Amino acid sequence: MRFRIYRYNPETDQKPHMQEYVLEEIQPGMMLRDALLKLKEQDETLVFRHSCGEGVCGSDAMNINGRNGLACITPLESLKTPVEIRPVPGMPVIRDLVVDMGQFYHHYRAIKPYLIVHDPEPEVEYRQSPEEREKLDGLYECILCGCCSTSCPSFWWNPDKFRGPAALLQAYRFLADSRDQATAQRLEELEGPYRLFRCHTIMNCVNVCPKGLNPTAAINNIKKLMVKDMV
Amino acid sequence: MRAWLIQRLSAVYLSLFLLYVLFWWLTTDRLSYTEWRQLIGQPFMAVALGLFFSALLVHAWVGMRDVLVDYIPHIGLRFFILIGVALFLLALGIWAALILVAVVMI
Repeated sequence: MRFRIYRYNPETDQKPHMQEYVLEEIQPGMMLRDALLKLKEQDETLVFRHSCGEGVCGSDAMNINGRNGLACITPLESLKTPVEIRPVPGMPVIRDLVVDMGQFYHHYRAIKPYLIVHDPEPEVEYRQSPEEREKLDGLYECILCGCCSTSCPSFWWNPDKFRGPAALLQAYRFLADSRDQATAQRLEELEGPYRLFRCHTIMNCVNVCPKGLNPTAAINNIKKLMVKDMV
Repeated sequence: MRAWLIQRLSAVYLSLFLLYVLFWWLTTDRLSYTEWRQLIGQPFMAVALGLFFSALLVHAWVGMRDVLVDYIPHIGLRFFILIGVALFLLALGIWAALILVAVVMI
């Protein structure tokens, strides 16, 4: 199986280039991450992030044949050869397939991804009915791999100002939480033309999310909350 | 938020009005110039058309602004083009208003 992999080492390379690799021993059911590990045995200088190997940690997000995804849950059988692998688009490349996720995490931090409660803390747990809990389904599963934000044109054009689908999905995760009491404050923070409203429902995020989540729907729900808040 | 809401509301009006016009166009015979003037001269039609042009211009303004904010990162250039777009839309608006007023007045 043939691979073309984006290589860039800022210490030795002037520019990035694509390098060809061939992997002979392909076992059935092999994932792309396994192949990359085998290729790393051939060429130890190849660098990529990975950890859990089962689509839970979100470390090995990369652009596979033009589409963002997690290498560890992408079966080799599903890929056309030569498999072209690049780092996720729109992020500063540190080396090969490793990108600087600093800005992505900055936006995540900015939406305050934790419960904010103004009342005195209860002596027991925060109570939540099963119906209220159900509202968090499709939101809490996000693993912050960054596939969505890095496939979003609005995020490419304004990565410093637009929060991006991942952070906005999480913003809605806390807005939708019955235990959170900072709705007004959260909505206020997302006001303005950039942070939320650069989303033009392009839906690349929905298309690529390896967990099958729908950030566009979450963003629309935030907009609805804003309208409700205003009326 | 306001811009987005205006965009949505104007879109609703535009699509409803266009559907109405399409329906009307398919079910009516060709009109002569005088019949046209009569039709637009009716208060209901004049107001609906006035609203249509306002909605159209506002919709175009918000949309163009969105596109320019996305694709023209240079603030000075963006501002310059925005002013151009604003003047153009304003001119169209005044033109449409003048025509409507002229038709209704006579």
